[in-house]
Amino acid sequence: MHLEIITPDKKLFEDEVMTLTLPGIDGSFGILDNHAPLISALKKGKIKVTDKLSARHIFEINGGVVEVLNNKVIVLAE
Amino acid sequence: MANLKEVRNRIVSVTSTQQITSAMKMVSAAKLRRAQDAIVQMRPYAEKLKEILGNLSGSVDASEGGAYSVERETKKILIVLITSNRGLAGAFNTNVLKSARELIAGKYAAQFAAGNVSFLTIGKKATDYITKNKLSLYSAHNELFDKLTFDNVSPVAQRIMDAFSNKEFDVVELAYNKFQNAAVQIPTLEQYLPVVRSEESSAKKGSSIDYIFEPDKATIVSELIPKSLKIQMYKALLDSHAAEHGARMTAMNKATDNARDLIKELKLSYNKARQAAITNEILEIVGGAEALNG
Repeated sequence: MHLEIITPDKKLFEDEVMTLTLPGIDGSFGILDNHAPLISALKKGKIKVTDKLSARHIFEINGGVVEVLNNKVIVLAE
Repeated sequence: MANLKEVRNRIVSVTSTQQITSAMKMVSAAKLRRAQDAIVQMRPYAEKLKEILGNLSGSVDASEGGAYSVERETKKILIVLITSNRGLAGAFNTNVLKSARELIAGKYAAQFAAGNVSFLTIGKKATDYITKNKLSLYSAHNELFDKLTFDNVSPVAQRIMDAFSNKEFDVVELAYNKFQNAAVQIPTLEQYLPVVRSEESSAKKGSSIDYIFEPDKATIVSELIPKSLKIQMYKALLDSHAAEHGARMTAMNKATDNARDLIKELKLSYNKARQAAITNEILEIVGGAEALNG
């Protein structure tokens, strides 16, 4: 699936990824390929991403919102 | 007849002024490009945020931004003035201050007479203006333009939002220069709080996609509204920043042109004076020779 993490200042990350874990308001959750359409609020925490080469990336965010649609994930981080 | 030395000195001083203005023009052009880039960077975020809010407004009334959309009787007003820290930018700062003055003389005249209009200033020029005219200054944030990032702007926006929800103010207005292009800035007045319901987001109702909402729509909306308010503030600042450099670039360009015209005129009168002096000298020599030949 395609992941984009954008902040108001810049684009933090854009690539194809395998899985990602997000800090949801009601607890952390993971997203895999072909997830159903979803909009969720995020709290302060870490986004953990595993890309196609199994390399792990970690991004700190101060809250935000995520939209999953048609195998495209867009994180609006703060 | 103009004194030769005087004219020469003036030419020298105008030339050095011209060098300064053309250097400032170049600096502003470079800064303008960077400021424009920042706006371009921010745009996808703002658009996506708007889109998600639009998706949500399908069934939840997106204008119900909780504490931030309460319409109270307009008694206490906060006007946020966004100007620049430095001058020499043409009518850039004057335009914002003028539109604010019109606001307190017209729409909020009654509240102003009762002393219920306060100002939050961003930019030294606005702060100076408010203190000079002894208007009530709520707080000043001149340092924002030193490092214009979302992380720096966000606490200021949060502070305004808190003041609104604590009923310190009933209406918050933004006055700033919108960036149109390098030569055109539009002085803009915008109601910041309470949140104005945007017509277009409520128009495209009922998106066909069946989203899962985590935890629920109302929570997401209440998360998103403050976010979009902060973005609105950030956007106004970025706009003003780009507009400032655009205005300065235009002003300095004009100043350089004027200096060039002035130098041309001065050179002309210098040469005229020089020629008159030479003619005089020749006349004297010829006159002297005639007298000797007598």
